[in-house]
Amino acid sequence: MYPKEIEKLLLKVQKPGRYVGGELNAVVKDKRAVDVRFAFCFPDTYEIGMSHLGIKILYSLFNEKPYIWCERVFAPWIDMEAEMRAHDIPLYALESGDPLTDFDFIGFTLQYELSYTNILNMLSLGGIPVLAKDRKELDHIVVAGGPCACNPEPITDFVDIFFLGDGEEVDLEVIELYRACKKDGRSKDEFLRLASQIKGVYVPALYDVTYHEDGTISAVTPKDGAPAVIEKRVMMNMDESYYPDNFVVPNIEIVHDRAVEEIFRGCIRGCRFCQAGFLYRPVREKSVECISRQCHALCQNTGYDEVSLSSLSSSDYTQVVPLLRELNSWAKPENVSLSLPSLRVDGFTDDILDEIKTVRKSGLTFAPEAGSQRLRNAINKNVFEDELMNTCRIAFEGGYTTVKLYFMIGLPTETMDDVAAIAELGRKVVDCFYQTENRPKGKSPRVTVSASSFVPKPFTPFQWEPQDTMDELREKQQHIKNSITTRKITYNYHASDTSFLEAVFARGDRRLNAVLLEAHRRGMRFDGWSDCFSLEKWLEVFDYCGIDPAFYANRRRSFDEILPWDHLDYGVTKAFLKKECERAYNSEASPNCREKCMNCGALKYKGGVCYEKRQSDL
Amino acid sequence: MKNVRVIYEKNGPCKYISHLDTNRVMLRAITKSRLDIWHTEGFNRHPYITFALPLSLGFSSTCESMDFRVLNDEEDLAAIPERLNACLPEGIRVLSCREAVHKPADIESAKYEVKIEPLNNGEISEEELKEQLSAFLALPEILVDKKTKKGMKQVDLKPYILACEPQDGEGVRLSLTLPAGSTLNINPNLLLDAFAEYSHTELYCEITRVGIYVKGGADFV
Repeated sequence: MYPKEIEKLLLKVQKPGRYVGGELNAVVKDKRAVDVRFAFCFPDTYEIGMSHLGIKILYSLFNEKPYIWCERVFAPWIDMEAEMRAHDIPLYALESGDPLTDFDFIGFTLQYELSYTNILNMLSLGGIPVLAKDRKELDHIVVAGGPCACNPEPITDFVDIFFLGDGEEVDLEVIELYRACKKDGRSKDEFLRLASQIKGVYVPALYDVTYHEDGTISAVTPKDGAPAVIEKRVMMNMDESYYPDNFVVPNIEIVHDRAVEEIFRGCIRGCRFCQAGFLYRPVREKSVECISRQCHALCQNTGYDEVSLSSLSSSDYTQVVPLLRELNSWAKPENVSLSLPSLRVDGFTDDILDEIKTVRKSGLTFAPEAGSQRLRNAINKNVFEDELMNTCRIAFEGGYTTVKLYFMIGLPTETMDDVAAIAELGRKVVDCFYQTENRPKGKSPRVTVSASSFVPKPFTPFQWEPQDTMDELREKQQHIKNSITTRKITYNYHASDTSFLEAVFARGDRRLNAVLLEAHRRGMRFDGWSDCFSLEKWLEVFDYCGIDPAFYANRRRSFDEILPWDHLDYGVTKAFLKKECERAYNSEASPNCREKCMNCGALKYKGGVCYEKRQSDL
Repeated sequence: MKNVRVIYEKNGPCKYISHLDTNRVMLRAITKSRLDIWHTEGFNRHPYITFALPLSLGFSSTCESMDFRVLNDEEDLAAIPERLNACLPEGIRVLSCREAVHKPADIESAKYEVKIEPLNNGEISEEELKEQLSAFLALPEILVDKKTKKGMKQVDLKPYILACEPQDGEGVRLSLTLPAGSTLNINPNLLLDAFAEYSHTELYCEITRVGIYVKGGADFV
């Protein structure tokens, strides 16, 4: 329950429902009856954080243990933050209303780089020292996991422990260790040393990083018995892996206000720009029975009448049509609608359309990512123009008139012709509408073309690539705009300056900790929100700290450079990534995991798609 | 098919959710409770519920109503509050359920209990605030700007104050009856904001709707 003293502030801020908790299925325990209190912090607003699946899984998993009480904490929006600071109200958890200082663990999920300043801001709002070295006792242990943990170097000064890979087991092992250390009266240092021995745990304080004169890394040296390479954790059996049958159901509307069911982890595709496609290898599916059972329980326990089937590429689920039929056997009579996001252009069939159309119809979104076939080959987005047109035709025949197309600009090997091809592809979709015999009569098509700026990420074949400069990106955005000649196409593009900052932190090293600390001192947060982001202020901070952001964003790395994340092991080998990068230079696509094994390294996990029978073997 | 009306209270964390959010919370509670109620028959079928008198965000209430149609004429209405309460969040509790008697259009007025607190600590005492309030309420007219469908309009609230009595208890308390319903609705905040301006004091007001009445002053049931 929220602290009583905030009542007087709540009516002065936007959406006060964000700050009060008390939702259906929120877990309230007796704090005297638990050994470990865990504050699960999402470094963004309530509506964003409550839409995130990872927090739902771990919240329920932790709370199933009688000795742990896990609560939720979100970043207060700037109006509420101002009120809290003015009235000396520390950041509190929604279930108990207790401040962060009452917690043993303060855990953050690292969803993207622009939320880093929010992490510092939340710690300071909660009264927790932001620097790990200033937290000397065995309490307030700051931990973090999630995709950005694959290169956590820019935030190593603030976080005690990073969890690499799937969190379902490793998080509990560390909590268990803490509980034992607490009981034995051990010190924080002893606890961290013991934790570093657990697979999937990275304790950054136990590694020294040295640099060459040119600013690149000369060595990363472990100490106190910490492993030289830290391997990610993977849940290999998804049917047996923990999944909640219950979500906290928010009282206010959130971004994804529906039940979510994860249908598989990983992706077979290996699109070369996509970090998730490499981090979560190998692909591990849940069975149709398991998905149906979990979905049904979720709907019954939450009252949601919509289920979203979540994965990186839903149509790659091997049993997608049988799955939709099975789900509809109960969903249809119970008025529950199914949505299937992340559909690939080539995976869209009449069968799928029939099953999702039965309940609700919305617009369709596809991501060809690049305009020309040459560039799609280079980035390994194996989608062909005729497949896209075929898919659009099926959609138009099915009554759809709105198609959204997502693209990226600034991709490696991209030319201005490739950029112009984005507008051209949009035009072809408009033409396709008019060439479709059974199109919705009397309506005109609406095609939205969105272009975002490419950010090179660790553990992808493009991890060595420079990002286009902001000027180059702006020029490309204009080029698309000038190439669009029909008003049936709406063109959206995103500011390139946030992508620049994202690129700096995505491949940053430990020297960026100082930059973040200074940005935090200057009151910066919510950098992912245009209301708050200021590139100018950031450039001032970089300048003050004597750090050139272009070194991180716009520099081409050599293949033999030691990268800041080289001591972390996500299963894919550097040799494989290098080979994929070289294929990109030759505009050469690679087969997906189900067609042919490209020997990425994930085979060592001994399961998932690596052990499926391939079509070619049958 | 029976038209039924549940009366529920709304307070605690649910004080801070809007009418639209309350609607969603109720829809999910009905779905989760598996109560067999009439659904709309359009392409996007959903349970059909209506609310007689929306409650402003920030207000508590002891007397909100929600109507729906139960499909089974034999449905045990007395069991419905418990079934719904098992599916509702902290801060919304169904108190009773019976067949609807009045129509929402019959609503004429509503009663609010208000607790007024000055926010600028110490600058104005409770006694002073009470005196100011009596003086304010004794004004011959209370002119405020009211947002109407045709834009801002100046209105005199004085004739609309159907009843207004100071209440006992800690702090400055007031019981206030104002016109309510679809034809004329006066939000107590209009009066309270005017008082804040009059007294040059930033106020924190806890407002609870405690009664909804039809013509003649009978409870809306």
